[in-house]
This record gives sequence, C-alpha cells and structure tokens, in this order.
Amino acid sequence: MEENENPCPRTGVLNIIDPAYTAHPQPAYARLLEHHRVAKSIAMHSPILSRYEDVVWALRHPEIFSSEMDMQVLLGTQRPMIPQQIDPPLQTRYRKILDLRFSRPRMQELEPAMRQHAQQLIDGFIERGECEFDADFAVPLPCRAFLTLMGLPQEELDLFVELKNGIIRPPVPPMDMMAATEWRMKTGERIYAYFEKMIDERSKAPRDDMVTYLTQVELDGRPLTRHEILDICYLFLLGGLDTVTATLGCSMAYLAANPEQRRRIAEKPELIPNAVEELLRWETPVSLIPRVLKQNVKIGDVELREGALVNLLIGAANVDPAEFADPTRVDFDRERNRHVAFGAGPHRCLGSHLARMELRAALEEWHRRIPEYEIKPGAVPQVSPGIREQLHLPLVWRVGSTRGA
Amino acid sequence: MKVQVRVDLAKCVGHGRCYELAPEVFGEDERGHCRVLLESVPPRLVQDTLLAAANCPEDAIRLQKS
Repeated sequence: MEENENPCPRTGVLNIIDPAYTAHPQPAYARLLEHHRVAKSIAMHSPILSRYEDVVWALRHPEIFSSEMDMQVLLGTQRPMIPQQIDPPLQTRYRKILDLRFSRPRMQELEPAMRQHAQQLIDGFIERGECEFDADFAVPLPCRAFLTLMGLPQEELDLFVELKNGIIRPPVPPMDMMAATEWRMKTGERIYAYFEKMIDERSKAPRDDMVTYLTQVELDGRPLTRHEILDICYLFLLGGLDTVTATLGCSMAYLAANPEQRRRIAEKPELIPNAVEELLRWETPVSLIPRVLKQNVKIGDVELREGALVNLLIGAANVDPAEFADPTRVDFDRERNRHVAFGAGPHRCLGSHLARMELRAALEEWHRRIPEYEIKPGAVPQVSPGIREQLHLPLVWRVGSTRGA
Repeated sequence: MKVQVRVDLAKCVGHGRCYELAPEVFGEDERGHCRVLLESVPPRLVQDTLLAAANCPEDAIRLQKS
C-alpha cells in the first residue's frame, strides 16, 4: 500500500499495521482528522475516533465507552485486569487505594535508584561507541524500575522481560493466531503462578513493598481477595514495562534524527521535562485505546451501535489542530500542551508519575554522558504495530565525545 | 493583577500538571489529585498559574481576575 493511501480516501479504512504508518503515523493522523471523523480499522473494520474533542469526550464517559471487554486472547488473562478493565464506580474504589502508591512523592523516592540503573546501563556500552537502544537500554531500564517498585530482586530481569514479551509479542509465526493465543495463555499462567508465590511469601513475611501493601490494604473495610491482588499485579507487569520502553525508543529515535533539537536539550537539560511532554504528544507511543460501547451513540452523522468495539486514536488527538497550535511542529517550548498520551478521565494512566520520572531521569542521564549520537548509517529503524516500540534502533557515537559519570 | 483560582475537583483525575508547573499555587492530596494552596494568586505567580491552567488535560482549572 502506498503510504499516502493510508487511510484509504474512499473507505476511510486505516491500516494500523502498515510499517510506514507505525514508523511515522502523523501524516495519516492529519488525513484522518481532516477527512474521516469516524474511520475504520483494518482489523474487523471497527470504528476509529481521532478528533481531540471526540476522544476526550469518550474517555470521560465510561458509562458509554466501557473498558469492560474480554481481552483473554490478546493478553492471556483469566479475569479482567484491575483497575484498567473495570468501569467506575468499582474502578474508582480500586484507584483510591492504588493511587496512593503511585503518587509523585512516592515516585520521586525511586528516582535516585532509577538514575543509578541508567548509569549502570550506559557504563555497559559507552566505550563501545554504539548500542542497540531497545535491547541495551529501553527494555532493561523500565524493567529495573518495575522490580525496584515491586520489591523484587534485580536478578529477575530476564524472567520479566520474557514474560511481558510472551504476552505482547509471542515468539510464533506472525499470522498464526492460534499459536499466539496458546503462548499467551501459557505465559499468563506463569505470571499468575509467580505472583501467587509472592503473595504467599509476603503474607508470611511482610516487607515494605507493593505486594505486601496489597495483602494488607483494605477496600471498603475488607482485605483484597487473592484474585484481586493477582489481577492488579498482572496489570503492573503489562502496563509498566512496554509503555515506557516504547516511549524511550520513540523519543530517542526522534532526537537522533533531529540534531538541533537534541543539542538544545543536551545544552539546556532544564528543557527536558517539557521535551518529554512534547515527545509524548508527538510520538504518542501508546497510540490507540480500545473501548466497547454500552449504548448507541452518534458521532457526527455516524451512528455507532451498542456492543461495538471503538478505537480511540489518542495519537491523532494529540496532533489535532483544533486543540494544538501548529501541531506538526515539535516545539520543546510549547506553552499550552494538554496532550492525552496518558489518557484522560477516570482511567488516566495509573503509572503516569512513574513514567514521567523514568523518562526525565533517562533522558537527563543519557544526554549528560552521550550528548552527540546518531542512528547508525544505513540502518532502518523498525517500529512495531500496536504499542510503537523501536524494536531495532542502533545508535552510534564517537567515543571521545562522551563524558564520565 | 491578582487572580482567583477555582478547581473543579469532580473533573480532576490527578494528571498532576498543575502542581508541577505552579508548585506554589497547587499541591496534591495523598492520591495525587489537585489541592489549591493559594486561592488568591499574587502577581508574581500569575504566569505560572496561567501555564498550569493551560496544561490541565481535564480543563478543571478556572481563573478569574480580581
């Protein structure tokens, strides 16, 4: 398919797995926003909403756009993940006990450990003058953060990378859906079994960590059930690793390809928090949020039916000219930036304060040590569909241009 | 110029942009939702407060000149 035919101008069908689209979806977003208020996904032709106004409205109305859908085939889960696949008002009760553990001050406590993890990873490859950014940095860093947050030993890193990959990218032939589902179910069983063991251990010997907290906290005057704790831990594993990995990769791919922007943040690290927000807006690595309709709803002149799966394309909403001035310009000085890369409404990403801390710490530590780098000449970065992870992003730098820790 | 701040707490879901961008005006409760620290904002903090309001994804912050 020609890149400029996506979405198809006649049918409004968007090919969300086209490599040209996953690498650079922004031109397709612009066409969706201009011509297709309700487009269709190539997968089952389910409707896609793109406008900022429509997407934010949907996210704020869970009584219409429900999160309660069966994702077993895609996630290997035996029950809904908590709180992501639960609607308010029950979802709100879970958030009340979980938000406490993901507040900004709590995440700031983890920051020194995060910076140390980043430094250790950089130490491992800085003298080589090159790295495979995904495997050497973007994958292990959020995994280390997750292990620190959960109170698990760092030796579990390889196991957790294997588990999350087993769900998100099962190692089976690309089109073999049966094999993929089977792999996910088996991986899911391993995830449940791992945390079952953790719950038993922490119930007997409490520590100051997340699983201990979940075994002790009360919801409406009762302890959480074993299933509830498992369904929360499952979400932490899936939500905490891949999303930050993808955002690090997309941010660094942009900075590697845009040396003027990169030099600005290397010279003025105080710009990094704003740069992180702007790159979240522009790249929106988690670009699509699924919902299921609880009632019929009309968007423009299109009637959507109860029971339909609806795709909320937050990546497109984040470049909507109706909300963002000069949306195709990546501007680290942008003053008004109400991007919804972490969603909006009651399901706002539980880990957003963690993600922001990780992204800022990672970009600061990297650019302090390696201010000048580029994509390895001749390499073609490879970006996955779905969550846009830069699976292959080789970076190179001159060894003499780096700085000590 | 002084500015009066009102936050619609029914809209706030804890993005935390306000207390990052205007930490003297906005704080956080234990869940990370907004808590107004200064309802009446002195001139030196007006710029930060405008920035916070312009970056709230839930459009929950209302400002009024006083």
